[in-house]
Amino acid sequence: MENPSLHALLLLSDSQLPLGSFAFSSGLESFLGHKKLSNTHLSSSASAKVAALQGFLEQSVANVSSTALPYVLAAYRNPETLEDLDNDFDASTPCTVARRASITQGKALITLWEKALSGSANTTSSAFKEVANFATCLKTNTPDPFGLQLQAHFAPLFGVVCAALDLSTFDTSYMFLLNHAKAVLSAGVRASVMGPYQSHTIMASTNLQGWIKECIEREAGSSVERAAVTVPTMDLWMGRHELLYSRIFNS
Amino acid sequence: MSKPFAPPTSTPGNGTIHLALLPPILPRLKTINYQYPLKLVSPAPLKSEDDNPFLVYTVYLLTYGGGLVAGDAIDLHVILEKTTRLILLTQGSTKLFKAPSRDVLSKQCMTVTLAPESALCYLPDPVQPFEKSKFEQQQIYKIELSSSPDVRSGSLCVLDWVSNGRPANGENWSFYHYGSRNEVFLSRPDGIRKLLLRDNLLLHDRMLGDNIAQRMDGLAVYGTLILYGPVFQHLGQFFMNEFKLLPRIGGRKWDSGSESGDEEVDLEAVKRANRHRREIIDGVLWSAASVRGCVVVKFGAPVLEAARRWLHDMLLEENTVIEYFGERSLLCLR
Repeated sequence: MENPSLHALLLLSDSQLPLGSFAFSSGLESFLGHKKLSNTHLSSSASAKVAALQGFLEQSVANVSSTALPYVLAAYRNPETLEDLDNDFDASTPCTVARRASITQGKALITLWEKALSGSANTTSSAFKEVANFATCLKTNTPDPFGLQLQAHFAPLFGVVCAALDLSTFDTSYMFLLNHAKAVLSAGVRASVMGPYQSHTIMASTNLQGWIKECIEREAGSSVERAAVTVPTMDLWMGRHELLYSRIFNS
Repeated sequence: MSKPFAPPTSTPGNGTIHLALLPPILPRLKTINYQYPLKLVSPAPLKSEDDNPFLVYTVYLLTYGGGLVAGDAIDLHVILEKTTRLILLTQGSTKLFKAPSRDVLSKQCMTVTLAPESALCYLPDPVQPFEKSKFEQQQIYKIELSSSPDVRSGSLCVLDWVSNGRPANGENWSFYHYGSRNEVFLSRPDGIRKLLLRDNLLLHDRMLGDNIAQRMDGLAVYGTLILYGPVFQHLGQFFMNEFKLLPRIGGRKWDSGSESGDEEVDLEAVKRANRHRREIIDGVLWSAASVRGCVVVKFGAPVLEAARRWLHDMLLEENTVIEYFGERSLLCLR
């Protein structure tokens, strides 16, 4: 085969991957509510909505890459640190809504790993052993001496699963960010901000490709200790998602 | 604890505050030393206003010129012994002056070690980065746990906030680089330690296609309040409850303009309604999250004074900080 990891790459980037990502808007719904751009506000024009969404998308991709991508890469490179990374990511996510979204998808990824992905993974890799071990520990999940437990955050698990499936570092990073952008855009379509063609216009654009590549370059050498919130308003939108009068997404 | 604090050095910007305890209950400011450009001032301690009056020490963290000039580095170590209470304050915002070039970074680092049952209240004025400044700071809080489960841990109420600079001079998030990191570690007597909380903010002017002002979306100030430990449990719960009771976004106010006018009779509800009205007028946005035994409050406002007033009112209304540390603790929020 030309590219042995192509199959895994296509599987993980598929929107049908049962991680429930479609249930999360990463703060978009709350942003639209705060900006009075949701579809209950009839006054807002269609073009204003699309422009706002594009700005939001760029910021959201940047913020996800600065907060989560270092964890994806650290877990990819050093699978044996997975449990520490899970703890540190949990410690670095002091936002109820973002935390819930990350844990839900992480747990789904573990389930998917056990039921499906592990069968075709590289059993000799250390990543394979570490995911398997993490999945086992998660079942009993005994608290450590500080009373803290494993949470199964999505970013470190994604990194280690990609490593077990022999994906390259670049493909792993690119897919992580593109999947995030897809989820935000699909939330935009379902929140009636725009239609599917418009959404794909953005998805296929060189703009989006440029943002993702810049983020990957920026975070390539970044340690998890340096992972930081770069768009603070994202934390406010996300945190205040719970205050929306009506909502269709979980984040 | 082989080395309770670093030996005094003559390195510029270094400082130590060691609040010791003379058993059974007399706290004493054992060490307070500092090197230019850092300056520490400690007024006479005051008695707290709770049922068991306790001597509370206060230290003002000052810098010559009221801020940091490019290349300055401050490294402060604070040690709180068992059951001691310390207030850290500033006198006016910490100004970050223009850097001569993008390569010159000024830094501030504070490490606080909290013994069991001690408590820190650090409610400073905001950091005010001027145009073309470049700055990073980190605050590390080490909570030392006791081997006995009956001994309660140390407690923290710490604020970290940053403003958009000098709006009167046309500045609006016009600096090169601002980073602030808060970390809380738990450490056990056997030396095992774990990261409990990390709150890391980084604003860099050349990161996205936009400028920082666009990213801040009309906010003039953004901040994080971190609460941890038994002393602030009630305060944390207060923020969580009040957050849950905020008016829904996009909801219709079906109950407004009622004819009977007999709702909102209880004082608390009236106060809350007034506060909500004020938050909307002032544009204060905030959220609270309870994670891993901490309560983390994030807030932003289009005007600095609106955020200051909001936070002051919240802390005043709940009253734990005043009771436990005295009114001086809120000086920077007035």
